[in-house]
Amino acid sequence: MVSDLLHRVRALFRRNSMEAELEEELRAHLEHEVEKNVRAGMSRDEAERRAKLKFGGLEQVKEECRDSWGVRFITDLVQDLRYGLRQLRRNPGFTVVAVLSLALGIGANTAIFSLFYTVLLHQLPVAHPEQLVEFLYKDPGRPRSDGYRGWDEYENIRDHNHVFSALTGMTFDNLARVSIEGSEPETLILENVLGNYFQVLGLKPALGRLTTPEDVPASGDAGVVVVSWYYWNRWFHRDPAILGKRIDVNGNPEVIVGVAPRAYTGPRVGDRTDVWEPYQKDAVRMLARLKPGVTLRQAEAEVNVLYQSWVDQNDGAHKNPKLRQRKVEVEPAGAGLARVRDLYGKSLVVLMGVVGLLLLLACINMASMLLARSAGRQREMAVRVGLGASRGRLARQMLTESVLLSGAGTLVGLLLAYFGTGVLVRIMASAQPHQHVEIQVKPDLNLLLFTAGIAVLTGLLFGLAPAWYAFRCAPASALRQTGAAGDTWFWRWFGRGLVAAQVALSIFLVTGAVVFLDHLAKLRNFDLGFRSDHVLLVTIDPAGSGYQREQLAAPYQQLLARLQAIPGVRSASISGCTPIQGCGSGARYLMAEGHVETPEQRQRPAISFVSPGYFETLGIPLLAGRDFSLADVGRARVAIVSAAVARHFFPGENPFGRRITIVHDPEPFPFGDDRPYEIIGLAGDVKPFELHEPPYPVIYFNMFQENHLFDQFELRTSSDPAAMAGTVRRVVGEVLKTAPVTRVKTLSEQVDSDIVPERLIATLSEFFGVLGAALAGIGLYGLLAYSVARRTNEIGIRMALGATPGHISRLVLGEAMGMVCAGFAVGACMVSWGRPLAASLVEDLKPESSGPLALAGGAIAAVALLASYVPARRATRVDPMVALRHE
Amino acid sequence: MADKHLDLPQGTLDLLILKTLALEPQHGWAISDRIEQISKDVLCIKQGSLYPALHRIERRGWIKAKWGTSGNNRRAKYYELTKSGRKQLQDEESAWRKLAAAVGQVLETAQG
Repeated sequence: MVSDLLHRVRALFRRNSMEAELEEELRAHLEHEVEKNVRAGMSRDEAERRAKLKFGGLEQVKEECRDSWGVRFITDLVQDLRYGLRQLRRNPGFTVVAVLSLALGIGANTAIFSLFYTVLLHQLPVAHPEQLVEFLYKDPGRPRSDGYRGWDEYENIRDHNHVFSALTGMTFDNLARVSIEGSEPETLILENVLGNYFQVLGLKPALGRLTTPEDVPASGDAGVVVVSWYYWNRWFHRDPAILGKRIDVNGNPEVIVGVAPRAYTGPRVGDRTDVWEPYQKDAVRMLARLKPGVTLRQAEAEVNVLYQSWVDQNDGAHKNPKLRQRKVEVEPAGAGLARVRDLYGKSLVVLMGVVGLLLLLACINMASMLLARSAGRQREMAVRVGLGASRGRLARQMLTESVLLSGAGTLVGLLLAYFGTGVLVRIMASAQPHQHVEIQVKPDLNLLLFTAGIAVLTGLLFGLAPAWYAFRCAPASALRQTGAAGDTWFWRWFGRGLVAAQVALSIFLVTGAVVFLDHLAKLRNFDLGFRSDHVLLVTIDPAGSGYQREQLAAPYQQLLARLQAIPGVRSASISGCTPIQGCGSGARYLMAEGHVETPEQRQRPAISFVSPGYFETLGIPLLAGRDFSLADVGRARVAIVSAAVARHFFPGENPFGRRITIVHDPEPFPFGDDRPYEIIGLAGDVKPFELHEPPYPVIYFNMFQENHLFDQFELRTSSDPAAMAGTVRRVVGEVLKTAPVTRVKTLSEQVDSDIVPERLIATLSEFFGVLGAALAGIGLYGLLAYSVARRTNEIGIRMALGATPGHISRLVLGEAMGMVCAGFAVGACMVSWGRPLAASLVEDLKPESSGPLALAGGAIAAVALLASYVPARRATRVDPMVALRHE
Repeated sequence: MADKHLDLPQGTLDLLILKTLALEPQHGWAISDRIEQISKDVLCIKQGSLYPALHRIERRGWIKAKWGTSGNNRRAKYYELTKSGRKQLQDEESAWRKLAAAVGQVLETAQG
């Protein structure tokens, strides 16, 4: 076996010396034979003739010897590859278009899949990740939350469950201040973990030891931490001397006892934990390990029972109805905690679908181009058959060429994917702080396998039709026939079908792009309740200004006046929070005079302290009544309510002059007292927390009247708000030298940060839609160009018989439009089928109208006209005399 | 000429080559010459067809080749039986004898 293999390897790599030896061996044989013949009395010439006769065909023998070296398959492949490369070099235009379209298709798939894989599939590097689960808490009508649970709830589940083999937990501090050996503090992610955390996960340290339950004394403070491999690498270049070093975490002195394994960066996808510190008896996010054989549903049932018994113990008086409506969902956590999956999972599924279709489109496109080309290569094929090539060999040659193309496409595609993934990750990183993810896509064996698989699959997929064509349509007789040989009815319709399929796919992609873009535009503009354009948000930090917070009223009013005076600023205001960023609501609820309700019906609005001018600046409509004014200070307390509040308390009535009280539950309201506010205005509904949620009730107070001051300034500008940032900083510096500007951002940026998944989908599907349309256009052009070339004869005859250029171009355009219409019909069916699917995957998407489909149809028709223009023109320029002499 | 010669059954050439090489290492032409002589010109082998067989057997490891000098002072490639080649020869030889005997017997019986 081994010698066989060595022999073959030698035949492959020492080809030249093998050939030389073969040559010498055979020549020696002939010389021996000649000598023998001469000895037998023949003349030299006669002796040579006889020897050759007896030997047989020299070249044939050589060929058979090469066969018996056992490397025929590979040498053929090398030959096919060489030939294929020569073919591709000969048609550089075709090659560039083909490689580029494949590269875009493969690159897009690789990029999206790498995100998909990282976010959804990649398992945590812990023991038996498939057993890990986490608990998510779902209140009716709200997205499920991964919130922290109290220690008693943890103990309740830990001590009474029968479904988990282990239970552990942690909390995250995303803004921990860490300094090592007196360095400048840096902001890192700290994970406080229960004592059994590392044991439950089954992790082994890279250095030192991991923390255990013994590290957590009853007093609470352990004094020891484990750091990440990356932290070790960054600060100590993997020097073991890190063990025993002092590290300051949020002001607490700790000692480093170990380094976590390199692969483990915490249980969250998209956030890297750098420091683990053991703790106990505090709020906790639970992570559990299922016992073997226990299903998720069984575990979920038991956890809900335990949860309800906990509620009974703690809220026997039924004070908080929400507690009882809450359901616990048990989710697999082997691929990391669910937060990022919940945020991006569906978007990534949509995008995988889109890029998959794009790749299919690229494949069909290639198939149709290669088919048209191989029809043009009829004669070449016939010559090769005539020279002894088998049809199978021809088919193999075609497949080799297509795999060569897909291989080149893959190489370029990998480059595109590398940069593309960077862009995607940047879009995702622009999310709001509380949804922030920093996804690191690492090269991974599974990823490479995926890309390689795609490359081969696409090559085979689009190479199959041309290979089959070569197999079926390469008769030796083709030599005798005209250029249209083998161009049968079937293949003509097959080619048209491929183009129609491209049109259908691109209709689908473009429609999707229009739907998603439309959805994004709606989210950005119409549904907000405020106008996000031309607003600059400026946050200042008065902590070190020397003013007490209560003394800020005068300087802030002065600053507002100065800001308003800046040319290009239309209005300015201050508020405690801005839409989307979130406002406080908490446990406070409203009571209105003359309104009776049960505890379950209580409304807990967001509370927003604003300065006069806030509604004008943010473009929130004041539906009735008046805005706050500085004159309110010192007078009866006033409030403005949003439409949702008015609907709740005063349905169908005039809210003005009605009195409303804030009740803090259960403690007294921390500011002021429970004196009522008089309602003086009614504002339009806004979304204070999230774009996806329905408008939330908001009550506004005059921050100067309450003297409850905040530091968020807003400016409505008449030109680009971002360009005003410098001026604003200067003015702030002049008025309040000691209060630095900590953040400048436009409101549109803030809105965008809340709709990252939608932006991701819309941006990419727009790009892929355009690409799809372009590919369909190329496919159509290729087929028409080939068809015109093939029909030159016929067109010549028609023109000789009196057809006008108009007739001829209608002939070509008719063929094009036939394919486009067929494709449109199929595409429309696909759209109607894809609509509910898209609606189920994208929040709030309501793609009922047929507008996007019509728009896509129009766009594709325009592309088709453009693509048929050149072939149609060429057809009208056919000279009948030349055409008839063509063959 | 064709009448007088017999075509070789599939695989027989390998056996003949191995048998020829069992005596002593030989180069290609000598092997073909030897087979011709011994078979008294009954077996007709196109000399050329010997070489693909030699190369195949060499790849299988039954014979190995080295360059040497032939009787008339010419460089020639000598083939030599390996250990596994000797084993293969035994196997093939006994298989052949069994086959020939069996076929012979069937022919005899059928005639009778």
